[in-house]
Amino acid sequence: MAIKILSVDDSRTIRLIVGKAFRPYEVTLLEAANGEEGLAVAAREKPDLIILDVTMPVMDGVTMLTKLKEDPALKGIPVIMLTAESGRENVLQIARLGVRDYLVKPFKEDQLIEKAGRCVTLEKRPVATPA
Amino acid sequence: MPPDINQYKELARRYGIAATPESVSRLTQLVARQDSCVDEIVRVIEKDPALSARLLRVANPRAADESEYTVGTVDEALMRNGIGCALLLAMGTPLSLALVKTFQTMLSLKLDSVDLHQLDSLSGPHMRGSIGFSGKVVGHVFLRMSFATAKAIAAGILGLSETELKDVDEIRDASGELLNIMTGNFKSNLCDAGLDCKLQPPKVGMTEDYSTPIEPGGGLERLAFKAGKIEIFVEVTANPWSD
Repeated sequence: MAIKILSVDDSRTIRLIVGKAFRPYEVTLLEAANGEEGLAVAAREKPDLIILDVTMPVMDGVTMLTKLKEDPALKGIPVIMLTAESGRENVLQIARLGVRDYLVKPFKEDQLIEKAGRCVTLEKRPVATPA
Repeated sequence: MPPDINQYKELARRYGIAATPESVSRLTQLVARQDSCVDEIVRVIEKDPALSARLLRVANPRAADESEYTVGTVDEALMRNGIGCALLLAMGTPLSLALVKTFQTMLSLKLDSVDLHQLDSLSGPHMRGSIGFSGKVVGHVFLRMSFATAKAIAAGILGLSETELKDVDEIRDASGELLNIMTGNFKSNLCDAGLDCKLQPPKVGMTEDYSTPIEPGGGLERLAFKAGKIEIFVEVTANPWSD
């Protein structure tokens, strides 16, 4: 069964890049454009991994992470932060809340796959062979 | 060394976070204080050849090359132009580094920082993105480019050909993300220097407006970049001494 990965980012560009990175793998990609939507999708779908931006409208990534870690049903889901913000206070605060990893934008798709592969087992999709 | 610094260094190592160059961080810390000693600022800039070269370029705006410089030393440049000159250097450098890195990482393109006069000026409608920041430092970052450049960048970032791009929103969103990445890195440097601030959501769209509102009491730094046919203009206006 395909694993579920939730990408929470207000940028459609980043969600498309994340989707492209995981296309060769048995992954169902779920998407949300802010923390509020992200929490709703996480509660409904129980993803195996969340890739989370920090600066977003409606609810930012730090608030979503805080709420996620307060929810007994969701707190075990590993989270990788994917953000352009690598300031000292930001990184320390997010690490204290409990993230599995942190990837600073700009990033390469293989860096994301490598970090995700440390949290979940990524299996390659079978290559379609012509009939 | 405070425990937080050690803890951050350990996390940065574990997560693979690249640090802002020490000279840029130090310069930002110094210009953040209104009472900084100019000699100390001179020493920090002189130790970094890239910062020194940029400061001298800024101090000699009419010179076509180094042979035409009338201001020849960092010391002289700061004496003539004041601390505001160093402030703009501290603000512009992280933006410049982040933009060049984004092109290298996400588009596999070498983007060069060039003198403004080396590029043709934009004319007519163009794509403009802006992000405001406020807190202990206030200001705006602007990103300007032709629509053709914005389209080429969007296609490159998404790994598509230009004909595969679905709509203008896709191009606008990619331009906004480029601005986000640049400004996020810029903000990190400010916050680490004690200039805590928050970013406002980016605004991106086509415009014919070439005016850049300068932050009262602050300065304006204009940067230009080129990679083949891609030409990008970045402007930053900031005032860290507003309160």
